[in-house]
Amino acid sequence: MTKAPGMTLAASPPGRVPALARVAGARRGLPRTAQSRRNTRTGLALVSPALIFVSVFALFPLGFGIYISLTDWPLIGPIHFIGLSNYQNLIHNSVFLQSIVFTLKYTGIVTIPIFVIGYALAVFVRSNRPGATLFRTIIFLPYIVGLVAESYMAVVELQPTSGTANFVLSKLGIVSDSTAWLVHTGLALTAVSILVIWFAAGLTMMLLMAGMQSIPHEIYESARVDGASWWSIELRLTLPLLRRSIALSLIVSVVGSFLAFNQFFIMTDGGPGTSTVPVVMSIFDTAFAQMDVGLASAMSVVLVLVVGLITFVQFRYLQGDSD
Amino acid sequence: MAPARSRRPQRKRRRSGFGWYLAGGVAISAVFSVPLLWEIFRSFQPESAISAAPSSRTFGDLTTANYQALLSGQDDIIRNVTNSLIVAILAAVMTAAVATLAGYGFAIFRFRGSGSVFGMVLLAFMIPFQAVLTPLFLEMHFLHLLNSLIGLALFYTTFNLPVGVYVMRNSFHQVPRELVDAARVDGASVITTLVSVFRPLIMPGIATTALYAFLFSWTEFLGALSFLTNDSLFTLPVALSNVETGTYGAVNYGLLLAGAVIAMVPCIVVYVGLQRYYVRGLVSGALKG
Repeated sequence: MTKAPGMTLAASPPGRVPALARVAGARRGLPRTAQSRRNTRTGLALVSPALIFVSVFALFPLGFGIYISLTDWPLIGPIHFIGLSNYQNLIHNSVFLQSIVFTLKYTGIVTIPIFVIGYALAVFVRSNRPGATLFRTIIFLPYIVGLVAESYMAVVELQPTSGTANFVLSKLGIVSDSTAWLVHTGLALTAVSILVIWFAAGLTMMLLMAGMQSIPHEIYESARVDGASWWSIELRLTLPLLRRSIALSLIVSVVGSFLAFNQFFIMTDGGPGTSTVPVVMSIFDTAFAQMDVGLASAMSVVLVLVVGLITFVQFRYLQGDSD
Repeated sequence: MAPARSRRPQRKRRRSGFGWYLAGGVAISAVFSVPLLWEIFRSFQPESAISAAPSSRTFGDLTTANYQALLSGQDDIIRNVTNSLIVAILAAVMTAAVATLAGYGFAIFRFRGSGSVFGMVLLAFMIPFQAVLTPLFLEMHFLHLLNSLIGLALFYTTFNLPVGVYVMRNSFHQVPRELVDAARVDGASVITTLVSVFRPLIMPGIATTALYAFLFSWTEFLGALSFLTNDSLFTLPVALSNVETGTYGAVNYGLLLAGAVIAMVPCIVVYVGLQRYYVRGLVSGALKG
């Protein structure tokens, strides 16, 4: 069984990693010499491939998308600049508005269970007791396998008469064996949510566990000497010290839920009707089925802003006063 | 004698606590692994058993028919698996190469403006690729990168670079300073130094970066669905959506399960084999925040 070497990394905050070369340059007291010019040239040359990739396939599309969202972008013929019309149309686009409400609802449903279960699992596997590494590995498997393959499996197992889900649940007397999970809005959302909680709990566990293991042991020892109980140590020591990891795991989970697509595309295809269409699917349909590129780009810009805002707010809220 | 006696019940309690811990661990592990094992088992049942009401009579009839049909029939899943492998390996190699160079540049050659360039690379992490799909589609059309496995791999590389560059920069930061100085005094060329002096020290970082990009690309769905329209170029996850909707004829859940298991197994093998590198990436990527 291997111990994760990354844990040592977790112990040193990134800002405090010794910047070797900065010291190397300054030590000689020659800040603006041929050496430093050569450094700049070499450094830029080395980072330029990464910069080109990111510029071409991420930053440019972002700017291009903002531009498209301000035009009518017809499939043929001249492009017209139409100001904020696409954004005004968004306000009246019922499918898009519905998709935002649905995505918020879905995010609201899965976030707390993922966090609570992930936290409990992290507490369980953070020790180095025998077997902990194996448990960690197994609990993390659903995340590694990925939601796409699991969604296909879920489709098969959620079939009314033949699926394992109804077989087991009807034996337990919870549902009837003819329950059609994926054609009823509430049931479909329930099924997808359970699948996603099962899928994502391991990731939250890993992120929180890394945070827990980076808390110095001495802090706990002195608390134990003082006779503090397990619960009060967990609440008064671990939770506050874990703010950064909690913020991160919540951001990863909430942003992931907000960008959900695969599980709904595969399991419900947005149905019944458009009742389980998440935001990304409504953008996808607007762009590739309705070919309304301008409107789809406006939706995308809104999505970038919302996701940015979620990240910013959660980060601020959970990290703000710990420094 | 007294202290020894008082310690005994405590030790006993600890041992029974350990028993509870093991039992709990096994139960929790079952929740997360039995569904996956069950699907592997199910994929060996005949189609008739998968799509009919469960019955004890057909339960134990195991067959490789689903796999044979999938791998030999018109569906030609082998081609899709090959496409997935090409894209995932290409993306892994490109991400590792580009991230290594960038990490080298950022960590060893501190130059003016390197902070803002680094910020720009990390900014790509803040941009959800789901949100730039439409403009990216038009751009890739213009660059003739639609319906191209190379185009898809370039896209995957980009969105794996932020984590990769971060991991590689940290790897180079951990190279002992004496080694950096010695190499410089030596006058060895930049690339020679990288290959002959730093390589052994940064191999774990490279493994992390490549593994990350490989798993991301192997399981990615939305981008492949958007940028590939030619059936023969579909990656495995996209090809399975055709199996699911019965594009190739009647819906066959046996084929779908077998296909999903084929998609799942490489992830498990690669992860279990290289998990210390994966966790390392997760943690250092996580601390970027």
